[in-house]
Amino acid sequence: MSTPSSPSDAAGATGAAGGNGETTLTNLATVREGAPGSATGAALGGLLTASASPPSSAATPVTDIDDAIRAQRVGIGVSALREDGVAKAMGVYPYAADLWAEGLLWGALARSPFAHARMVSIDTRPALAMPGVYAVLTADDLPPGPDGLPNGAPTGPYVADRPILAAEVVRHHGEPFAAVAADHPDTARLAAASILVEWEPLAALTDPDQAFHAPPLHPDGNLFRQLPLRFGDPEVVGEVVVEGMYQVGRQDPAPIGAEAGLAVPRPDGGVELHVATTDPHGDRDRIALCLGIEPDRVRLVVSGIPGATADRDDLGFQATLALLAARTGHPVKMVLTREESFLSHPHRHPALLRYRHHADAEGRLVKVEAQILLDGGAYADVSSEVLASAAALAAGPYVVPHVFVDAWAVRTNNPPSGRMRGEGALQSCFAYESQLDRLAAALDLSPLEIRRRNIMATGDLLPTGQAVTCPAPVRELLDAVADEPLPPLPVDRPDAEWLLPEGPAGAGDPAAVRRGIGYAIGMVPMLGIEGEDEVATASVRVTGSQASVICAAVDPGSGFATLAKQIVQEILGVEDVYIAPVDTDQPAAGPSARGRQTWVAGGAIERAALMVRQQLLQPLAARFAMSPELLSIKDGRITSYDGVLGVPVVEALEGKDLWATAQCRPHPTEPLDPETGQGDAFVGLGFCAMRAVVDVDIDLGTVRVVEVTAAQDVGRALNPRQIEARIEAGVTQGLGLALMEDLAVGEGRVLAPSLVGYRLPTALDAPDIRVAAMIEDRDVVAPFGAKAVGAAPAVVAPAAIAAAVRAATGMPITRLPIQPEDASV
Amino acid sequence: MLPASLDEAVRAMAESPGAVPVAGGTDLMGAVNAGLLRPMALLGLGRVTELRGWQYQDGAALLGAGLTHSRMARPDFAALIPALAEAAATVGPPQVRNVGTLGGNIVSAHPSGDTLPVLAALEATVTLVGADGAREVAVSHLLTGLDPLRSGELLAFVRVPLLHAPQVFLKSGGRTGPARAVASVSLVLDPARRAVRCAVGAVAPVPLRPLEAEQWVAGCIDWDGERTVDPGVAQAFGEYVASACVPDTGSESPVPTTARLRRTVSVLARRALGRALK
Ligand SMILES: Cc1cc2nc3c(=O)[nH]c(=O)nc-3n(C[C@H](O)[C@H](O)[C@H](O)COP(=O)(O)OP(=O)(O)OC[C@H]3O[C@@H](n4cnc5c(N)ncnc54)[C@H](O)[C@@H]3O)c2cc1C
Repeated sequence: MSTPSSPSDAAGATGAAGGNGETTLTNLATVREGAPGSATGAALGGLLTASASPPSSAATPVTDIDDAIRAQRVGIGVSALREDGVAKAMGVYPYAADLWAEGLLWGALARSPFAHARMVSIDTRPALAMPGVYAVLTADDLPPGPDGLPNGAPTGPYVADRPILAAEVVRHHGEPFAAVAADHPDTARLAAASILVEWEPLAALTDPDQAFHAPPLHPDGNLFRQLPLRFGDPEVVGEVVVEGMYQVGRQDPAPIGAEAGLAVPRPDGGVELHVATTDPHGDRDRIALCLGIEPDRVRLVVSGIPGATADRDDLGFQATLALLAARTGHPVKMVLTREESFLSHPHRHPALLRYRHHADAEGRLVKVEAQILLDGGAYADVSSEVLASAAALAAGPYVVPHVFVDAWAVRTNNPPSGRMRGEGALQSCFAYESQLDRLAAALDLSPLEIRRRNIMATGDLLPTGQAVTCPAPVRELLDAVADEPLPPLPVDRPDAEWLLPEGPAGAGDPAAVRRGIGYAIGMVPMLGIEGEDEVATASVRVTGSQASVICAAVDPGSGFATLAKQIVQEILGVEDVYIAPVDTDQPAAGPSARGRQTWVAGGAIERAALMVRQQLLQPLAARFAMSPELLSIKDGRITSYDGVLGVPVVEALEGKDLWATAQCRPHPTEPLDPETGQGDAFVGLGFCAMRAVVDVDIDLGTVRVVEVTAAQDVGRALNPRQIEARIEAGVTQGLGLALMEDLAVGEGRVLAPSLVGYRLPTALDAPDIRVAAMIEDRDVVAPFGAKAVGAAPAVVAPAAIAAAVRAATGMPITRLPIQPEDASV
Repeated sequence: MLPASLDEAVRAMAESPGAVPVAGGTDLMGAVNAGLLRPMALLGLGRVTELRGWQYQDGAALLGAGLTHSRMARPDFAALIPALAEAAATVGPPQVRNVGTLGGNIVSAHPSGDTLPVLAALEATVTLVGADGAREVAVSHLLTGLDPLRSGELLAFVRVPLLHAPQVFLKSGGRTGPARAVASVSLVLDPARRAVRCAVGAVAPVPLRPLEAEQWVAGCIDWDGERTVDPGVAQAFGEYVASACVPDTGSESPVPTTARLRRTVSVLARRALGRALK
């Protein structure tokens, strides 16, 4: 689907289907003009013809799926389907890579083959001499640094240290140093490859432990952040002490689609970018800065996003794309290969964690000491924030009177690290949960019992001194997974085929298989931490029977657009809600990360909708001679408190055009003290408990996860099916990290940047995933009381799977992914 | 080009020297799409029906190079050459098995090609057909490059002796889902010659035969009686095979480490022997 259908095509398809009374799913997938498949605009949802043109939907016979939606109630708590779900499932949803514009050129990047090297000279003439090449850019073409010399226009979310195009030095394998625009993608790639560079390879710093003493890789030094956390009395010792060292590998977000985008030059010297960003306004501002133009001359239009469990595109990609378009005066499209994607986008921080847990004879935690070292890769990115989460949550959801943590995030020549679902919290969770298992073994307690004796509840203190004021139903979560029946043993089901750890027709041997059961609980921060200004703006408008929402919160597949729709349906009683496509002409709603959109952008939408509701009810209240608070909206009707007076919403709205804009800004937080790590740094926390059941072939060390049972603290289930999907996604991603996902690096070079070399879980690897409970303990400060749900399952699953393998094998299991030699007995 | 017969295909190959044959395309097209390979022309073998089945000849099966993995995994084929069927059943996901072929697997000669250790253990030969006629080459000679495919030649048939005895293929991919072999072992019994033949795949560029271990274990089997060995023998056989096939590369070897690979091979060989003698 690389060209947009004309509107008449769309109408034709709908008409034809309506005419013969037979609707095939194909007409649902028609792309409207202005949808992401075209360069004229972009839409996130609204792909189904029916919802795009409501009047025609009456004439179009509804499909089964439409029926299913209609049959349900609308609003909060309903498992509404994603608007774009059908198109995505059928493979016709247009993603960023499907964009097209008349007369476009193709961009390509030249990348460093070294993890660390000096560029003695660059000769771009061979590339420029190739027919079909329009432009070749290097750091010399970017605005110079403060000293007037090219510095590659460095950028970054907090610290501007990552050059758009490397100047003089490259610091990781695959770092781009030149960009090419040509009339054919092959020409662009060949031209990029023909650029002559005289390299002076430098020693690569790949062991994060060495970063402290190695010569600085960057003028900013090798230490991104050091965070000590001092809570309680350092002299206290427990009767039982267990120690462990834990390692977490390098997980790649491996989005379904690699980075892609289209840049179109604007007559005012600016540029319009169609990209799969999750932070449109932030990216716009940073791109403008790199290009040396005003932010208002850069417009970002969010196109179809092929998955984002991390920050989507690296900014270097977007900014060079913009620059190529500005320089050539042509639209420029760039689609990264999977290899480039592996090399350039941020990965999960590899971590080394050293822990010592002290407990009394009854197994009550006395003190936790930890040292945490995160490998941040070559550039700062969000390492300081990830470090804060890792350190502040280092003791886990347990009551611990004395906690002492030293944490560091350092610069290396390894692939870049950055944001990825549950960043920081995940690494610590694996370590503290492993420690709890060790402690249970030392005290001869069950893993459940040791957790129950120490589990946190609302009102307890975090080691940062912050009280947990939000609901913390951790005990209930653990009980919920513990109470679930276990999956049957294969001996009890002789008729069912037993899927062995080596898979169907594999080398697995039932006689060598041991079953293990493991538990883990964990927590994640919600929203930005340490004083990050969290704010989002949204507008809600109602005309006639249709409501529309303008909110620049990107839905990268997390389901936010569906929630936005449900919120408006709930408050206004209007069924037909249109979610406008996102661009930077709209007011900012902040990045889609850290589980913030449901809260911050959802809160803004809620407020705007409530303001519209007030405008709607006020005249009615006057007519009924009662205050608006006595009217309620339910099932499409406005009714008075006593049920006597009432009017359908549609009737009340007739001829009206109401709108409101509102902001949501959750209560502020403060930075952690640099000496003691104390401070109220979090807006809220989310919890999750899991039980994993594994089969391990103890000769081969191969693990199969049979089942994962999860219980999650959701505040309020706005859309239960969507929460289940988030849990399934998180568990599967966590399983990947636990068993197979690790981007292999040798001397800083990525060894196998492909989906053959980097193994992702397949359907056969994914376990049965059961949701034992979604505990709805409303968080009073969050809109609707709802908590973010995406990150927690990904954080807890690796720890639970490791615990189960530990139980099956009796081996310590101290690294992720678990290697066969760790799990063979 | 889409020839309909083997003759036509061979002629087409002779007429356009730059042409590259494509069977299922599961190996080839990936390379083409990634820009690693830019063939002058592609010669599709999909319509050459004579390569897609098998026939019997002098106590051997003559397998067409175009047999797909899915076809070989079916029960009728499994009754004929069980180890090859087991290997075919473990190749990639179903989409790949449905189009990927025996011939492609051999010509690609990837170290982790799953049919290769089976063909090595069965001492199979291949028929290569060129403009000058056909010739018969041992699979092992083809794979080691002792007698490579010449330009313009097609792999037409694979000749596999029918042994009418248990044979096994075991593959460890390290996970439940489809995976390339970390190591694989094929073991066949040849009661007529009172021999055990074994080949280890994926640990070296070509399948390896632990000849001494084969001979030793064949001597431990009571061929006229129950055809069983005690667990100690199976264990020792596994270790014998592993030490013969996984060379010591020193401590600095990349993943998977030597020790782990040895262990895996040893477990596979032990289990393979156990299953064959069951
Ligand atoms: C996702 C995926 C997973 C895979 N997993 C496995 C696995 O687990 N195990 C495994 O062994 N393989 C695996 N493969 C590799 C591949 O599927 C097999 O090697 C397959 O058997 C190749 O057969 P083909 O017909 O597709 O070969 P093609 O790609 O068509 O051809 C491969 C090569 O052989 C040549 N060729 C093909 N037929 C002939 C002929 N008759 N005469 C001369 N030359 C010929 C071609 O020119 C080409 O060079 C996987 C591939 C993919 C994409």
